[in-house]
Amino acid sequence: MSGGIFFEIAKRNIRIHMLRSSLAMLGIIIGVVAIASMGILGNSMVLAVSESLRTVGDSVIITPHVGGSAHGFGGGGGIGGASSLTITEQDFLQIKRVSAPNIAIPVLQTSDRMKLGVGSDDIVAAIYGLNPDDVPDLLNLKEGGYNRANSGCLVGSKFAEDHNVKVGSRIAIGTDGDKGTLRVTGIIEERGMAFDVSTDSAIVVTRDWFGGAYNRNDYDKVVVKVKNLDEIADVKTAIEKQLNRRDTIVDVMDTRKTMETLFTAFGQITTFVTAIGGISLLVAGVSILNIMMMSVTERIKEIGIMRSIGAQKQEVMWMFLYEALILGVVGSLIGGVLSLVGGYAISSMMLNTTKYLFVPSSMVNIVYGVTFGIIICLICGIYPAWRAANLNPIDALRHE
Amino acid sequence: MVPLPETEQKVTAIMDDQPVMVFRDVVKIYPLPAGDVTALDRVSFQVDRGEFISVMGPSGSGKSTLLNLMGCLDTPTAGDIYISGTRIGDMSDEELTNIRRDRIGFTFQHFNLFPLLNVIENVTFSLMLRAGKDVGTKRAKEVLRSVQLEEHLYTHTPTELSGGQQQRVAIARALINDPDILLCDEPTGNLDSKTGTGIMELMTELNRKGTTIIMVTHDQNIASYSNRTIRISDGRIVA
Repeated sequence: MSGGIFFEIAKRNIRIHMLRSSLAMLGIIIGVVAIASMGILGNSMVLAVSESLRTVGDSVIITPHVGGSAHGFGGGGGIGGASSLTITEQDFLQIKRVSAPNIAIPVLQTSDRMKLGVGSDDIVAAIYGLNPDDVPDLLNLKEGGYNRANSGCLVGSKFAEDHNVKVGSRIAIGTDGDKGTLRVTGIIEERGMAFDVSTDSAIVVTRDWFGGAYNRNDYDKVVVKVKNLDEIADVKTAIEKQLNRRDTIVDVMDTRKTMETLFTAFGQITTFVTAIGGISLLVAGVSILNIMMMSVTERIKEIGIMRSIGAQKQEVMWMFLYEALILGVVGSLIGGVLSLVGGYAISSMMLNTTKYLFVPSSMVNIVYGVTFGIIICLICGIYPAWRAANLNPIDALRHE
Repeated sequence: MVPLPETEQKVTAIMDDQPVMVFRDVVKIYPLPAGDVTALDRVSFQVDRGEFISVMGPSGSGKSTLLNLMGCLDTPTAGDIYISGTRIGDMSDEELTNIRRDRIGFTFQHFNLFPLLNVIENVTFSLMLRAGKDVGTKRAKEVLRSVQLEEHLYTHTPTELSGGQQQRVAIARALINDPDILLCDEPTGNLDSKTGTGIMELMTELNRKGTTIIMVTHDQNIASYSNRTIRISDGRIVA
């Protein structure tokens, strides 16, 4: 094998055309960074969202059908008001029956003004009304204990942090506390964005207190926690069949399905942005093709000499492929390293966290980017190398 | 050597221990849009081992075509060419390349050294083609000494050498695989007369030691170093 000398010649040719080679490599670097960074961003987004939603992947959420015949029109809407469409107690009982033995949790929901201490400004926050017996099935506490009394409430972790609320703090609900004052008994563990109840910036009161304070008997949604995830679709179907048999009165959402759809959408977005990165790598590949063609044209005579003194076609071909490969490997590896920086910067800016950067599913994007970069360079080197190898030695020797 | 087909071996077997090169009724026609051009017309000659032959002729006489055929860079339209008993007419590109690598040494008017390689690497290039990268420098140094190139120049690149020195390196490169024939295309065409004389004395010395040399030249003085001259005109050997 004489590959060594041809590899050496390829290396030296790159070295003597350092500027040209560096510019071609720069294209590869940019392409690899684009692909890998976009892949890292997409993966980080999926991980961030899946972490936020991980607690709600086992639920079926039933809400009043929007746009159809409603069972009731509650009061108002807006601050201190209930939503206009609700689920009646009778509907809830049907849901509970068809979804048994799974737990059906009725949820009341509104938002209202509240004051956290004498002289403090009013704030507006979401308020959930839950049956005290259901709360442990839905929410975990970070601090304190579950509330069973109508004089108490739970607060979300972000709410507590933002407003310096501790277990034992008092919160006056309503304008000038007209709905009453509740004592905080516990702080709810962070749940992130959720389909059922998003309690991080909210307070949770008893259903009875909620009903009395806002004059509500119907529910805004019902959450069914499904024990066996394989049954989630069956539970959804059973509820729809029972409640929507004559008219569509509720919308039933299978959170697992929704999450799957969401992740599919994220996957598509990631693929799309990565493909845009891929286009930049293709453009870089064209520049590799261009400089390889220049290299062949400049070295036609040299190729003729090589062929005339006994170099085989495939040896000449490999000399140029080595050149493309060196550009590809060096450019892609530099791009791979810089992708970490790019991924860090993009994750910091767009997700405010870099904790998903070094997980294997993110790192693999760098491997993909580097591999794709090398393959693109090799592919773009094939035609010039083939052309060089198939030059007629006599014509090549005559070339000036 | 690449093993030849059985039928070819029969042909070459008869020619074994025969002349280093034989042209028998060789015709070379270039098909062109304006009509076929006959560059060589029934050319026959033979070169014995140890001969020093010059090929002379005016421009367009067919010298380059003859050189290309002798160097196995091209194949004849008709007729037979034998290199050390091996008929090259039906050989594949790979086989012809192996013949060029193992049996023929080339030198050119413009030296044609590889600019990216130093003297030693240029000389060992052909050896590397045959044996791989790690061929060592012993053989190259031997050959470079035989072409009288100073040792301190071995690590220089071609651009750092004079024309005469470059031609000596080119001759060393051509000799490294111990070829049957050294083909020289205007070996002094790019050198001043004093340096050219030095090169010709070197070639005479190489020939005296047994190297078969075929040299294409325009220069009658240079041709006088050879012991036989083939004159070609209009594609035919005239003397």
